[in-house]
Amino acid sequence: MLKRKPISTVLWAAALAGLVAAGCGGPKPEQTSQPSESAPPAEGGSANRPQPTAAGNKAEGDTLKIGIVVPINGDQKPWGDDALNGAQIALEDFNRQGGIAGKKIELLIGDSGSNTEQAKSAAEKLISDGVLGIIGDVTSSSTIQIAKSAFEKGVPVISIGATNDDVTKQGANIFRVCYIDTFQGQVMAEFAYKDLGLRNVALMTDRKQAYSVGLSNSFRKHFEQLGGKIVGEEFYETKQTTFTGQLTNLKAKNPDGLFLSGYFPEVGPIVKSAKAAGLNVVPLGGDGWDSKEILNSGGEAVVGGVFCNHYNNKDTRPQVQHFLKRWREKVGGIPGTTMAALGYDAMAVMLDALKRSKSFDSKSLTEAIEATENFPAVSGDITLKGTNGNPIKRALVVEVRPLPEGFVMRKAIDPKDIGK
Amino acid sequence: MHKAVPIRAASIVLGLLGCWGLDLLCRAFLRDSEQRLVVLAGLYVTLAVSLNLINGIAGQFSIGHAAFYQIGAYTAGYLAFFFYLQSPLQGVGWLLAMLALGMATAALAGLVVGLPSLRLRGDYLAIVTLGFGEIIRIVVQAIDLTTPAGEQVGGALGMSVEPRIRIVGLVWLFALAAIAVSRNLCKSSHGLALLSIREDEIASAAMGVQVAKMKVAAFMIGSAFAGGAGVLLAHSESFISPSMFPMDLSFIVLTMVVLRGSGAITGSVVAALTLFYVPEYLRGLKAADGTALTVTGATLVGWILAVIAAVVAVRWIAYQYRGPRKTRLAGYAATFFGALLVGRALGWAFSFFPALSGASYEVQKLRMVIFAASLIIIMLLRPEGVLGRHEFSWDWLARALRIRRPREAVG
Amino acid sequence: MAHAAGLSLLASLDFGTLPSQVVNGVLNGAIYALIALGYTMVYGVLRLINFAHGEVYMLGAYTALFVSWAYGFRPDVPPDQLPESTLLTLLVMMLASMAVCAGVGVVIERFAYRPMRNQARISSLITAIGVSLLLQYGGGLFLPQNPPPTMNERVNPYRQTLELTLVRAPQELTTAVENARQLAQRSEAAFQERLKLEKDRFNLSPEGERLRDAKFEAERQLREAESRRNTAQVTVRVGAGRLAILVASLALMFLLRQLVLFTPTGRAMRAVSQDFDSAALMGVNVDRIVTITFVIGSALAGAGAMMTATFLGTSISPYYGVLPGVKAFVAAVLGGIGNIPGAVLGGILMGVAETLVIWAGYSQFADAVAFVVLIVVLLFRPGGLLGSSAVEKV
Repeated sequence: MLKRKPISTVLWAAALAGLVAAGCGGPKPEQTSQPSESAPPAEGGSANRPQPTAAGNKAEGDTLKIGIVVPINGDQKPWGDDALNGAQIALEDFNRQGGIAGKKIELLIGDSGSNTEQAKSAAEKLISDGVLGIIGDVTSSSTIQIAKSAFEKGVPVISIGATNDDVTKQGANIFRVCYIDTFQGQVMAEFAYKDLGLRNVALMTDRKQAYSVGLSNSFRKHFEQLGGKIVGEEFYETKQTTFTGQLTNLKAKNPDGLFLSGYFPEVGPIVKSAKAAGLNVVPLGGDGWDSKEILNSGGEAVVGGVFCNHYNNKDTRPQVQHFLKRWREKVGGIPGTTMAALGYDAMAVMLDALKRSKSFDSKSLTEAIEATENFPAVSGDITLKGTNGNPIKRALVVEVRPLPEGFVMRKAIDPKDIGK
Repeated sequence: MHKAVPIRAASIVLGLLGCWGLDLLCRAFLRDSEQRLVVLAGLYVTLAVSLNLINGIAGQFSIGHAAFYQIGAYTAGYLAFFFYLQSPLQGVGWLLAMLALGMATAALAGLVVGLPSLRLRGDYLAIVTLGFGEIIRIVVQAIDLTTPAGEQVGGALGMSVEPRIRIVGLVWLFALAAIAVSRNLCKSSHGLALLSIREDEIASAAMGVQVAKMKVAAFMIGSAFAGGAGVLLAHSESFISPSMFPMDLSFIVLTMVVLRGSGAITGSVVAALTLFYVPEYLRGLKAADGTALTVTGATLVGWILAVIAAVVAVRWIAYQYRGPRKTRLAGYAATFFGALLVGRALGWAFSFFPALSGASYEVQKLRMVIFAASLIIIMLLRPEGVLGRHEFSWDWLARALRIRRPREAVG
Repeated sequence: MAHAAGLSLLASLDFGTLPSQVVNGVLNGAIYALIALGYTMVYGVLRLINFAHGEVYMLGAYTALFVSWAYGFRPDVPPDQLPESTLLTLLVMMLASMAVCAGVGVVIERFAYRPMRNQARISSLITAIGVSLLLQYGGGLFLPQNPPPTMNERVNPYRQTLELTLVRAPQELTTAVENARQLAQRSEAAFQERLKLEKDRFNLSPEGERLRDAKFEAERQLREAESRRNTAQVTVRVGAGRLAILVASLALMFLLRQLVLFTPTGRAMRAVSQDFDSAALMGVNVDRIVTITFVIGSALAGAGAMMTATFLGTSISPYYGVLPGVKAFVAAVLGGIGNIPGAVLGGILMGVAETLVIWAGYSQFADAVAFVVLIVVLLFRPGGLLGSSAVEKV
């Protein structure tokens, strides 16, 4: 009995798999063509985004449903909670100002659980529950998943914090309220080269975050175009605790600036340990830095660092001050991350479009979002008309000062000023 | 033996028809998001059954099953990236080719991981499989690709996989194939050899079982099916990224395997479906007015205390109480209803404490906590697995339906 | 081809930084070692992979953070209003987190692991995974994490860096650095003078821009001079806090070894680890010994968490223990699980291996190296480096 070789078992398995394959391919040839009905997202060409073919959802009765997909579980919870609170405040504000006559707006919450697969499940659930549009997610990788589902169903998406360039290429119904990594990298490259006079910059990239990889690539490209030199790039992963190995390598390359494209929980300790390793550099970064906590985690070492941000809480624009006042009332303190303001903005843009929408269905809502022009949002005036879903708005360069001051705005850079 | 042939043929036909029927039903009645969940459930069943082969039947302690899933998915992803546009095979033909290749690649990886299992056992093997999973994730994360259009894909950014094909029937047929292979293996002499290795490696070697070959074969078959599931996932989602295959995934699949009885295939299927469905169910919970369901701190604390009390009571009845079976069952029922009552009552009592009634939690935020807690509770109450060693079989079904098999009638 | 690739790799290596990278590796490894000690203790006695160990470690970090907040090191206080920290503060923090961790460890053992003791090992493992998930997600509900908090750096009174020069640079390079530094300071002063006349720091007048560019140029020259000097000399820099972690893990290893080898409790532990039932028959109170083991193992996690949170200043979140937990477990297995010096050796070896890969320029693979080393070592020594690969009895 035991003489039969295990290899025959493997063969048997393969045969069965073959049978399975044959059995499936046979009876249902017509189903193979079905998935191709929805055109695959166009590759490359950013100018012409594919139009969704599906009609999307229609409002029934007096309730208008809007969905939000953010991580309220898992390791991205801080960003998700802030975005959700921001969006809820925006909804309250909208209702206080009268809302939409005769209609009640209902916010359905989907948990992306800090996981792309769950983000997609949550978005698909919301779409089948009949939401007219979706807000979310805070990260690019989850938003791409949401966008794929929403494109098939023709439901518009306004992303909160997905800065990766490819996100809005998924379809003509995908928008965002944040700027894109290419722009952010360009802003920081120009500021580092021209205003700070840096010529040799080293990069530290969080290999686990699509955001960080994209931002580092953009910075590298633009900084080298300007004539600067990237002297070295080292990698780490989110939740890593020691960075001395990478920093010792970079110290040997003698950079005068250190571009940290990751999120603040790692950036603070990296900056601190860079100083301890004897690196005398200007720390630079993107909007992942925006949290008051970086002043604590980076300590004295992060003072003098500059990063690119969406808004600044010392900004005197009425929208910013109103938002901060409402945040204090509802949540308390000041927002922990930049996603609070962006969540507010995403919701506000969505609601504004809903108000202007000709009828209450996904298609008209998409058109109304597309028509957004100079909407006064917390993070600046947002225009989405003819921009392929990427808002034209300014970016702020912010310097980190010791505590009573906090983040001080250094320069507001408009997209049209760039490259001069 | 030859009398089993018609039954086997009938099972295969029934399986094929069942999957085709499932496919038709899904297309007819389910919304897209629900179809996707059915697909994912099928993939989880495949993963659980294939890990059961390594873990439950052969007794090799593997806790890195997501690695093979990922290998399958990325085989499909990379091959589609480089060759799909020029390939003569398109659509389903390509998918089936990928399925075969993905299974082969994963089987090869299974061979690589299976080899250390010849020297290591128990927890040492476990940590090697875990490490292998991490190595795969990190390597995939470090590989960047550039499309002809100059876009960066791969790495942490993830990559899209062409073509997008989601066939519910095919996924479940694959799951059925995994089940059939495990079941038939169990009933064959090879299966007995594997079981003997699980029970005692040295004794079975002494009895002439080729321990090394059998162990590696189990690893290869198990990982091949996981790889196949990965291919189906990649084409069904049409997008893959390293974050889709976290270490937690391996743990959850392992849990699915352990929650069934030791080595039981039916149990793996049921556990996989349950564990997959529970978090999805909690996601959909809503209050009467359609907003997200929230509970106050008072209700929460009340329920926690009631559940703890119920667990203690059930354990006492199961392990200490020596009365007749009927009283025991009555005790379980009483505990269940008592816990419901106590939970309610405590929740009401605690609502007089402003600190507790003031705090409120959305059930969505609690769903992973509930998942983890139920895991511990199940293990405390039924450490041998929910279904024990009961297996589904035609004989069992016949007995349950009180149909006598012709062979028995004649004999 | 391969030859050329090997040569170019060799050329890209910077042997001047090798000594400091090895030191970095040893110091990183000390952190793994500290957590691995707890793993190894529990495994040695119970034969249970305590997956919740990383979460106990996470709770220890939170406890230390709360104590530091109670001392007044809150994140929103400006630096000049913070209290002074002393060795006593550190000790109180450490004792608090050790106590809390020990308590949590005992509770977990009593209510989750003890009921499973007579069941299949895999059932206890699933329970351990369940406890680990429960603490992670439960922590997500109740612990402060938005934004992920960090220990204030001023909690650590020993922030200085020790510098050791192994090979000195020639005198003329050092003088060149001094000259460049003076020039840089002069141009900086000139620019600062000018800045007082300017309205906006970031929109300068032509004269301001000239002075600013001159300052940048002087700074660049200083950097180049430093670069020339640094490549000529070999220096090792060590943070005082990180040295403390290394010393602590070595000291704890020694203490634990003494405890296990030379005390009655230690003897009982060894007896329990060999055979539960026989030990019980010999009059060992098994439950008590297991509880003691959990107290020690979890308290070690607490001490480790307090030190990493304070001396490394990493952000604390409910997932704080996941990665260190896995790495430390690998370290424990590498050294031979159940073996106390093995845990320290495994941790340090892993730290050095990771840092050497980073040194060679492959930092994207650094996290995988630990596992590669583990697999290779286990293939040749299935019991780990110092573990005894015991022959299984039939």
